[in-house]
Amino acid sequence: MTSLIRNPLTIVWALLTTVTIVSSLIALDGGASHQINTTVTTVVLLIAAVKAFLVIWHFMEVRRAPVWLKLTTSGWVLALFALLLGFYFASL
Amino acid sequence: MTEVAQGSTTGVDESPQPAARGHVPGDSSMWFFVIGDLLIFGVYFVGYMYFRGQNHELFLAGQAQLNLDIGAVNTVVLLTSSLFVALGVAAARAGNRADALRRFWIALAFGAAFPLLKMFEWIPEISRGLTPGKDLFFMYYYVMTGMHLCHVALGLVILCFVIRNVKVSQVPKISLVETGATYWHMVDVLWLVLFALLYLMR
Repeated sequence: MTSLIRNPLTIVWALLTTVTIVSSLIALDGGASHQINTTVTTVVLLIAAVKAFLVIWHFMEVRRAPVWLKLTTSGWVLALFALLLGFYFASL
Repeated sequence: MTEVAQGSTTGVDESPQPAARGHVPGDSSMWFFVIGDLLIFGVYFVGYMYFRGQNHELFLAGQAQLNLDIGAVNTVVLLTSSLFVALGVAAARAGNRADALRRFWIALAFGAAFPLLKMFEWIPEISRGLTPGKDLFFMYYYVMTGMHLCHVALGLVILCFVIRNVKVSQVPKISLVETGATYWHMVDVLWLVLFALLYLMR
């Protein structure tokens, strides 16, 4: 049991769960009025980007994969969130 | 195609069993499918953001109707399912079939909770008149979460095949286990983006 708790995968999961709760609280607190809020949006999107990367890197084991797979998957995360934030801010 | 050694089937492996460096987890064709799927969903996500930018008020009003609690619980449910899949892969690679099997069953149970919770979310919404035809936000909401749900359903079937492989084969095919795991984690990644776009951003 202790080996499962100390397992690096479990630590990644704990981090993912914690930031999920944090970003939900941010949306509940700062986003309660359901008005445009650039701080809430930037923070929750950046958290989502980090989460997506952590799942790809650790759970999908891309950190041990060949360079082409590392570049393609991290490139997807970077390009996607850059476009999402770009379109969001361009529309304000 | 790597295969695990016939090892002990009891006890907990003390350390994660990492794949060798430079190793593509699972079948390469699954990775092409996964990358293709990520790109297709990426277009949907960016499209959502573009149309949202045309009418922030409509999308914000739609978001206010969603059940953030179920969304957040479902996120943790999928993350937990993914964790047990990753732990199951490590156990299978170490030749520990009993642990691998147990972990994949737990992953399947968490995975199966996702569509169940989704029904508790969708049914009250639809009965309140929040249907896909209501407006552009709800069209996007149902199409994107619906397509994702189809992926969850397929992922659950794939997990059953992984379990069968570990259970039946004396020497489970690790590449099949990894291929199934890769697909399941992709389903998780897509949901993480959907959760932020539909429930969290303002």
